[in-house]
Amino acid sequence: MDTFVQILVSGLTLGAMYALSTIALSLVWGSLNMLNMAQGALLTIGGYISFAAITYLGFPLFLGLVTAAGTGVLLGLAMYFGIIRFMFEKDGFETNVIIATIGLAMMMENIVLKAFGAYPFQQPFAVDGGFRLLDVHIPYQNLVIIGVSVGMMVATAWLLGHTRLGRAIRATAQSREAALLNGVPVRRIFAQVLALSGLLAAVSGVMLSSITTLAPTMGYDPLLKAFIICVIAGLGNVAGALYAAFLLGMFEAGVQYFLGVRFGFPALLLLVIIALIWRPYGVFNRRKVARL
Amino acid sequence: MIRRDLAIGLIFLACAIALPFLGPSRYVITQLFLFFLWATVVTQWNLVFGVAGIFSLAPMVLFAFGGYAAGMIGLYLEWSLWVALPIAGLGTVLFSLLIGLACLRLRGAYVALLTLAIAQVVYLLIITDTECFFMDGMTCRNFTGGTRGLAKYGDFGFRDLLGRQDWVMGSYFTGLALLALATLASIIIIRSPLGLAFQALRDNPAYAVSQGISRFKYQLLVFALSAFFTGLAGGIYAGHFSVMGANTLYLSLLLFLLSMMVVGGVGSVWGPLLGAAVLMLTDEALKEVIEYRSIGLGLLLVLFAMFWPKGIAGVLNGVNERLKRRFRSRVRS
Amino acid sequence: MTGPLLELVNVHAGYQGRSVLHNISLTIPEGSFTTIIGPNGHGKTTLLRCISGLIPLSEGDVIFDDAPLKNLRADQIVERGIVHVPQGDIIYPDMTVRDNLLMGAYLPSVSADADKLLGEVHRIFPRLAERRNQIASTLSGGERRMLSIGRGLMTGGRLLMIDEPSLGLAPVVVDQIYEVVADFKKQKRTIVLVEENASRVMELADAIILIDNGQIVWQGAPDELMTHTEIVETYLGG
Repeated sequence: MDTFVQILVSGLTLGAMYALSTIALSLVWGSLNMLNMAQGALLTIGGYISFAAITYLGFPLFLGLVTAAGTGVLLGLAMYFGIIRFMFEKDGFETNVIIATIGLAMMMENIVLKAFGAYPFQQPFAVDGGFRLLDVHIPYQNLVIIGVSVGMMVATAWLLGHTRLGRAIRATAQSREAALLNGVPVRRIFAQVLALSGLLAAVSGVMLSSITTLAPTMGYDPLLKAFIICVIAGLGNVAGALYAAFLLGMFEAGVQYFLGVRFGFPALLLLVIIALIWRPYGVFNRRKVARL
Repeated sequence: MIRRDLAIGLIFLACAIALPFLGPSRYVITQLFLFFLWATVVTQWNLVFGVAGIFSLAPMVLFAFGGYAAGMIGLYLEWSLWVALPIAGLGTVLFSLLIGLACLRLRGAYVALLTLAIAQVVYLLIITDTECFFMDGMTCRNFTGGTRGLAKYGDFGFRDLLGRQDWVMGSYFTGLALLALATLASIIIIRSPLGLAFQALRDNPAYAVSQGISRFKYQLLVFALSAFFTGLAGGIYAGHFSVMGANTLYLSLLLFLLSMMVVGGVGSVWGPLLGAAVLMLTDEALKEVIEYRSIGLGLLLVLFAMFWPKGIAGVLNGVNERLKRRFRSRVRS
Repeated sequence: MTGPLLELVNVHAGYQGRSVLHNISLTIPEGSFTTIIGPNGHGKTTLLRCISGLIPLSEGDVIFDDAPLKNLRADQIVERGIVHVPQGDIIYPDMTVRDNLLMGAYLPSVSADADKLLGEVHRIFPRLAERRNQIASTLSGGERRMLSIGRGLMTGGRLLMIDEPSLGLAPVVVDQIYEVVADFKKQKRTIVLVEENASRVMELADAIILIDNGQIVWQGAPDELMTHTEIVETYLGG
């Protein structure tokens, strides 16, 4: 029974971490057809900004989170006005944007490294304490993360599904030309989506670093995990991503427990390859998007 | 076109053969040796990305596979590295076919992330390898060498053949031979009907398919061929340094090579070589401010992707075309 | 009929340096029904895309309701009241039929009336009312065309441009679509219709514009056109 609770708790925590890693990437990739390889670096910067605001500037915890979120919005906008604006109407956008954002990720990661050093820090935005369920210790911070990740996912799904902005984003994703002819200001939508994704990424970064540690390279692993979730859920399917994140969290926790920690990620990769061959449109999705 | 390319290639080859006899330092020779290896990887990557249109980020996994395969054959079977090298090359081809079957039918972004995830999994499996595979005296050694790297698998025997002073020359010429063959393969593919078929697929996929051009078959072919040379480059790297480690899978190295390809010019014959040369020279020149190296590389990638997606080769081509047009119109008037 | 609602003055345009339209000048009076005909691939679609701002003009200007449109983006031009129903079926494949139609009323100026407009579109195309909760990609070809036109109607606007509404449809469906188009004429809407095949639109049109090789070859009233036997033979297949 303890084993079961143990796997359940670490599975839910992993699932929450996946959900946090995925949400911003999935939003931008699904709605703008733009794979943002700098998403991981945005997570990292979010985590560090919260750390710096709380530790160096003495901000209260919550204000640290808000500062990180605000920085995320600014970075998202900077990305649009500095880079994406010049590219997204040209041929070869899909690959060129991957190269550009790889370069951007490299720059941001190394700027963080220069500013804070390679020494791993503890994220101060965290809740102390925990409780026992049967014989398993459960920190409150894990519950916070699970709550925030589900909350952000649900809020994003609601925004996309039930608001005017959400409809405009989906329209832009499905047919840029039709959206323009319906009066959707497509450029502004790009800027808005990137700003929103910056916000989500920064908050996710704070949450993720609160149960791991802050390190300049902390964003790389979530990028790959996010990809795995996007494949399983189907691109741009935010609700599906929520299920997929927790299912895969459980799966990885089980693999780690029974086969050893080092086989967790390889097992996920194998699952993704099978999924890509079996259902290239995602296990939870209708439409074919991954295959040519 | 193909004659011009071959002529350019022969001139470079002659210069590279003559160069060691002008008495450069050992450091220069070693850097040039590395240039040959990276340029080989980049020209082959260019065939996959620039010609066949597969945005794979797998080259360094293939490189590492070749290196580890050669090292393991040397260590566990105790065969000469000269025998191990072609076997490692062919092994890399098989490995690349597995990757290819998993991802070649996918869209660009999926290929990029899937190959990156494969690289990361291979890296993690190597550095978390702590199980004892065999005992080396009193120390426990892992199957892959783990974080310490794979070692003691012998070398190419250049030290015995050329002496302690000149053995680097052996590596230099081995690397040069590999680059020459890899470039030849690249010229043939880009200028051959195969290259034209890919161009047709890019320009008009529907027509190309109606002509019976199977994208998947050709892509797999190019993928496998380029894996062969990439694997050989890995094997030669392992043979030269006498140790093969997971540091070949560092993201920074992959991005250094990506910058070479993007800056040089994706899809062209000479662009990748030019890019490799430019980036290695820049890297050398910026040794003083090494801490800004990655920021500079990142900026370079962003700028080229934004403004010159065809790289230096593309810019030069554009200038050339414009000059030609101006010249022609002047002749006419 | 009053003064011109839309006027094109010496318009030149093309794609990536390849020029397609040369020196196009025309006027569309308010309440008129204009049909643009001509062989495929000779600039009819490009002309509509130019007016709606999807491609930039290289020379000349488009004047709508006395204001020049030259430097406006497509989404700003729709706001001025030009509605373009593009060629083929440019729909939102993953949205429901209802959401597709509501996107037509995206502009703040019409979104308040969205429910009223939706009712009207459902009256014109009862089929779309039946399928309102279906995902658009599962519709048949004819239904997609109705959706595409219906979405254009949702935008309201003062000028409705429809690009080849009969393209690739079965004759029965074409009849249905043209019944609706004939109603537009009765309602005195200002319509610009592009068709390759002129025979169906002859009795509807107030004016015909013939485009070949990116240039206006002829324009005038339909009955006048029939008197030019050489044009009828070349472009209308006799």
